[in-house]
Amino acid sequence: MKRFDCMTRLAARLDNELVILSLGASVDEWYNAAPHMRTASLFQQQLGCVTPQAFGLAAGLPDRRIVSLDTDGGMMFNLGILATLGNEQPKNLFVVVWDNECYQSIGGPPTHTASGRVDIAAIARGAGVEHAYTARTLDEFDAHCEAGLKADTPYVVVAKVAGTVQPDIRRKHSDGREDKYIFVRHVEATEGITIMGPSEHN
Amino acid sequence: MKQSAVEAVIRGLKKAGVSIVCYLPDSLFKELYPALDADPDIRTIQVTNEGEGAAICGGVFLSGKRAALVMENSGLRASVEPLARMGLGAGIPVVMLMSYRGDTGENNWWAVPHGITMEPVLKALRIPYVVEREEDRIERAITDAFELAYASYYHTAVALSGSIVR
Repeated sequence: MKRFDCMTRLAARLDNELVILSLGASVDEWYNAAPHMRTASLFQQQLGCVTPQAFGLAAGLPDRRIVSLDTDGGMMFNLGILATLGNEQPKNLFVVVWDNECYQSIGGPPTHTASGRVDIAAIARGAGVEHAYTARTLDEFDAHCEAGLKADTPYVVVAKVAGTVQPDIRRKHSDGREDKYIFVRHVEATEGITIMGPSEHN
Repeated sequence: MKQSAVEAVIRGLKKAGVSIVCYLPDSLFKELYPALDADPDIRTIQVTNEGEGAAICGGVFLSGKRAALVMENSGLRASVEPLARMGLGAGIPVVMLMSYRGDTGENNWWAVPHGITMEPVLKALRIPYVVEREEDRIERAITDAFELAYASYYHTAVALSGSIVR
């Protein structure tokens, strides 16, 4: 199963959601797989921060569906967030973990999941996230997207994907700071709120 | 912490517009956490480590709500990675309120490292901060920390010590 194909399936289901995205090659893949979601996606370079940030966003916007696109390396970096999701039970958070069993962006050394013994979905269930599953086919993944996007409890799907990257895709040119402004302005416009307003004086 | 100091903290947080507090409980702020939990205007989220709390606060910032990370100052060390990435890499601010373990008056050997490392770590991250030891300065310190964080889009910190916590 290729991550890019999974992203294409997920993207077709998204419209008004907000997405927090992990680092590495998945950034450019998402940029191309979901062009209609570019301003609604926060492209960040933060191992271990993605699902916590997505949960914070979900806590602040309880009426908006939030999607976290995390990774095996990112989730293993901070497993504690699964226990926090288990206790807090957010009603509007769908978490995808792209599990390619390697640190792809630095050349592919194995993560802990490559051993075959470490099961992130089982860890999530043990942490109190009842709906946590592993998907190995596109149809399985797509079915979990359908269920996860309308669930009223936290929903985690670990997508077992190949360690390859979609070739010949357009690179994103913006950095984390520009990405934040784009995302914040999108949230402001779609929620009708001010997040980064004017100073006291110009 | 005296009840009056607890109330001053909560007054400051509310005046600053805070509606979500992430915390990992500690001993010096022991009385503060249940008071935050009991407050109907504040949602508390207990985290497994302070770095996770920092990242959650960053996400709350992106929602337009205001959050604070409340912790012992040892939690600053656990938060360095997300603080550096969010603050320096993206301009996503986190406002921190921490108890000052290891300040003069400390009587626990294990807390000495917290005192030695707190200010150098804050300075390494270029985080503006104040240390307050008098109760009547708490409220203003918290609202000022939010003012600057929302002008600079960078982290700020308030450390409480002295008669406030002992």
